[in-house]
Amino acid sequence: MTKPRQWTSLEELEHDPALQSWVAAEYPAAATLEPVARREFIKLMAASFALAGLTGCEKSPFTTALPYVDQPDAATIGVPRYYATAVTLDGYAQPVLATTYDGRPTKLDGLPGHPVNKGRSDAFMQAAILQLYDPDRAQQPSYRNEPISWQDLVGKFSALRDQWKATQGASVRLLVEPYTSPTLQRQISEWLAEFPKTKIHLHDPTGLQDRRALTAAAYGEPFDLHYRLDRCGTVISFDDDFLGPGPHQVGNAIRWSEARRGEGKPGIHLYCAESIPGATGAMAAMRIAVDASRMSVLADTLAVKIGVKAVAAPGLSKDEALWVSRAADAIRNAPDKALVTSGLGAGRETASRVAQINQAIGAPGRTLAFTKPANDLSSSGSFAALIDDIHSGAVETLVIINSNPAYSAPGALNFSDTMARVACTIHIGQQRDETGSLCTYQLASTHSLESWSDALAVDGTATIIQPTVTPFYDVRTDHQIIEMLLGHGDIAADAPVKETWRARFGDVFEDRWRQALHDGFVAGNSAPVIPQPQNSVEAINADNSGEVDVVFRLDPAVWDGRFSNVGWLQELPKPLTTLTWDNVITVSPGMAKRNGLDNGDHVEVAVNGRSISGPVWILPGQATNTISLALGYGRRRAGRVGDRIGYDAYSIRPVDYPWRARGTILKRDGSSELASTQLHHRLEGFDFVREVTEQHPALPPPPSQASMYPAWPSAKHAWGMVIDLDTCIGCNACVVACTAENNVPVVGKDQVIAGREMHWLRIARYYSGEPETPHSYFQPIPCMQCEDAPCEMGCPVHATTHSPEGVNQMVYNRCIGTRTCSSYCPYKVRRFNFYDYRNAPESPEQAAHNPDVTLRSRGVMEKCTYCTQRIEAAHAAADKEGRDLREGDIITACQSACPTEAIVFGDINDPNSKISKLRRSGRHYALLEELGTRPRTTYLARWNDSPDDTERT
Amino acid sequence: MAQIFSPVADTWLRLSMLALLALMSGTLVGAIGIAHSAYVTSTDRVPHQPVPFSHRHHVGELGIDCRYCHADAEKGPKAGLPPTATCMTCHSQIWTNAAMLAPVRESLANHTPIPWVRVAKLPDYVFFRHDVHIAKGVGCVSCHGRIDKMPLTYRAKAFTMKFCLDCHRDPIPHLRPQDHITDMTWTPKNKDTPARVSQIATHAGIRVGELTHCYVCHR
Repeated sequence: MTKPRQWTSLEELEHDPALQSWVAAEYPAAATLEPVARREFIKLMAASFALAGLTGCEKSPFTTALPYVDQPDAATIGVPRYYATAVTLDGYAQPVLATTYDGRPTKLDGLPGHPVNKGRSDAFMQAAILQLYDPDRAQQPSYRNEPISWQDLVGKFSALRDQWKATQGASVRLLVEPYTSPTLQRQISEWLAEFPKTKIHLHDPTGLQDRRALTAAAYGEPFDLHYRLDRCGTVISFDDDFLGPGPHQVGNAIRWSEARRGEGKPGIHLYCAESIPGATGAMAAMRIAVDASRMSVLADTLAVKIGVKAVAAPGLSKDEALWVSRAADAIRNAPDKALVTSGLGAGRETASRVAQINQAIGAPGRTLAFTKPANDLSSSGSFAALIDDIHSGAVETLVIINSNPAYSAPGALNFSDTMARVACTIHIGQQRDETGSLCTYQLASTHSLESWSDALAVDGTATIIQPTVTPFYDVRTDHQIIEMLLGHGDIAADAPVKETWRARFGDVFEDRWRQALHDGFVAGNSAPVIPQPQNSVEAINADNSGEVDVVFRLDPAVWDGRFSNVGWLQELPKPLTTLTWDNVITVSPGMAKRNGLDNGDHVEVAVNGRSISGPVWILPGQATNTISLALGYGRRRAGRVGDRIGYDAYSIRPVDYPWRARGTILKRDGSSELASTQLHHRLEGFDFVREVTEQHPALPPPPSQASMYPAWPSAKHAWGMVIDLDTCIGCNACVVACTAENNVPVVGKDQVIAGREMHWLRIARYYSGEPETPHSYFQPIPCMQCEDAPCEMGCPVHATTHSPEGVNQMVYNRCIGTRTCSSYCPYKVRRFNFYDYRNAPESPEQAAHNPDVTLRSRGVMEKCTYCTQRIEAAHAAADKEGRDLREGDIITACQSACPTEAIVFGDINDPNSKISKLRRSGRHYALLEELGTRPRTTYLARWNDSPDDTERT
Repeated sequence: MAQIFSPVADTWLRLSMLALLALMSGTLVGAIGIAHSAYVTSTDRVPHQPVPFSHRHHVGELGIDCRYCHADAEKGPKAGLPPTATCMTCHSQIWTNAAMLAPVRESLANHTPIPWVRVAKLPDYVFFRHDVHIAKGVGCVSCHGRIDKMPLTYRAKAFTMKFCLDCHRDPIPHLRPQDHITDMTWTPKNKDTPARVSQIATHAGIRVGELTHCYVCHR
């Protein structure tokens, strides 16, 4: 008998008895009830039938209908309108196409045709819409935490300006986070013209400037790096998770997947040295777990092998030496298609060495592009310098623009107390957050989706941000507020942006402005340059204090804390750990064994004399002596969703190099229960992710199956979905897109612990191999829309039926909540509303719902519908035009979000459709094929491109 | 030992069993009756409107086309109620001081919508589209009744699931040519002749047989 190769958790691998009992409960989400006597049961059933009958007599109510007073020409009631605009991440534009119903945005998608994201999205972009409807936003400006009107503020600012003028602004400081907005740039230069002695300081919790500092160390001046992964055949990464979350994720994922889909075999192979497991390592042909501080040693050895003059560092382990030699072989085989990268955790010395290797193999200009930073912030003062200035008493006014340093500055700087020494502090931001609540003035600003502004994408392409809705509250855009501070009064929101672009567009302003708003971007990106790397590599005095490497990571769900109050993201199972609603201290299985740690046990991590404590999570594949801390949690003023969750890693973050430090770890008493979804919705069987190799590029053909049921008579179209497991990077964009499109509720941590999360689409994560060096697999699992669906046999009231086009339909208004369908479902894709998870009727989040999808109430089963509202809308549109449906008319929400086009939906009756071609591939297989359910959702097996691993073949 | 049951006990038992059966079936029939009654389907009510608007006058007597006011019916899922500006195209010229029209004038002056009471309403879990029904040749009168004869508007048809399904099961007899969509009195001259049926079926490309599956209306 074949033994299972893949496993979901360490508990499973170790045959933990607690896990066995969890699995034995067939429906772990169901509460155990007291045994009920027969008489009691009949009484209850009689009562519920009587009550259920009464609900049928509900009288259709007469409600008020409010028409327009003067309906705009372009508005058709109930028909969505689309606006090309952008939301921002780390100051970069994430260009979006916003869907609005009756003037309120409900869904964001990547902007089609944009040179970077090509209509694709990531989880942050999908979730940005919920921030617009955040009930905890600052709703009007405040002065000393009391509401104040903008008119009064104009008066107060005029008095302030007189003070600033007296010193030419010498006592004024502006604190910004990395930004790319040309309008903000212009306004800041205008500020400097007016108050020439004002100093600008930069607070950079997400590391944009630190990345530039790395390139400055390697090349002599700061550059932005762009990986041309579409031209690569081999990529060597030193702790650089370029497929992981961040502003570059979508662009990198698109290019990587283009290269990966080679002719009959994978076209790109990744060799990844990682301290903390990430998406890049999960997709690697060969991955090795190496402590963060050892990256430079590996890079030096690779440099020697490639022939770059360097001193070989001694002491490579056998595995490390093998990895380096395989990586070097791969480069030598095709140096013109190779690229070497390094990340923030690998540090400056690795970055410099990598620059030399890239130079030697001719990567610059071929697989690696450089641009000068579109907005060079290197002339700004550092954050630490601002602290010194405040202590010296030189600062009387501090203007903080869209930043939250009272939370996200390293704890050692003690910014909250330092800020109290400044006479006048002005905070411009959407939230009255940790910083805003301490400031003299909190100036409530708009969300991107209700703003006029502008920003650049990562390649330098500009987007003019236009509002999709009038601001809900008494708020102003950042630019309006700065104009107000500059003494220009309370001007129109578009005026500052128009002024910037009038100068750039010149005489044809009106035409080009309209064109830019229509297209969503202004063509033209930053010009590439080819710099020369420095010859010397700066010797860094190795910091040998402490016992372990402590790596600081931005959280894949809440990033640096800016998304803390977004329920969709809090409840998103984080890639690899599958944790929700918390941050953890991840350790390697080896370190856990050494220190006697179990998942959830509390540990104390100390760095430079400061310490935090939090729950531990044993992460297979983590480097032995590295622990990782996730930023973005432990917030105190995020709002009702994000407050008081997890530990605050900023409090021990080092000041000089905030990405890696040395520290100690100590076991403490106590432990927490963590909401991990890795054991939920388990399937019966094993090895669900199948693999092919170059030697055996096709799976064995499935045995033909007899069925006792007659075949379904198919309509003209038969919908199906194919998911390519070889290009799924587990980024979660599809899960958030599905949540947004289908009004999927957020249930909270306790309910997730009970196994009741509602995501219609989950990304199952599997491992194979040893816990220290596992391979990781991602498998998105939506409803399989079985042709012979067990759930349909189970429902006593026919609330789930089969459509002629092969979709397994779930009718909420007919469901009586027996949950039989869910226990019959072998794929565990059905979700039950154990409570009424809907938002309160008066909550602004009600406006974020998709009006084409029912909000489900308590006691109702739900599941993936293949976005039936989109199918029916496409049918209606085609029917109206009197034509047939065409390929591409229907794109499901998950398919549209996926940055790697791993999800393909279409008509399997059409032999020429993209999906039919994929279904003929040798890699095509159905999940749990042996059950004979004939699923419409099927998979393409993953390529195993490991150079050595014979076990996996 | 005395008899426990009297001689008529058996009769009583039979009678009460019959009565129970009658009560149960009566309740069932009654419940179905109530569900379809004018009371529950609200076809008996003429709701009070802020302005006593007469469809009989505007449609029946003046002959204004439905789409003049319900302009979105062909373009989108909802027919829409006319914006105040549409009322004012005429009423800025005629009946400019009528007391009855004061709410309309106030709406325009204050830029506040007129709070009409919605007469034709489906449950929230039904997703109905006007545009595709019109495109396929369902006339207004089929669902809204003889609106041209209503001095005050009421719900002419009970919007039950049966009402929708009767047509979705066999749409052809209910369809009409595009130029008679808003016609209140049109009837097919050669009703149900094979020629007409095949003509409509090919013209419309209607997915007969697929229109009764759940996701067509519920999602």
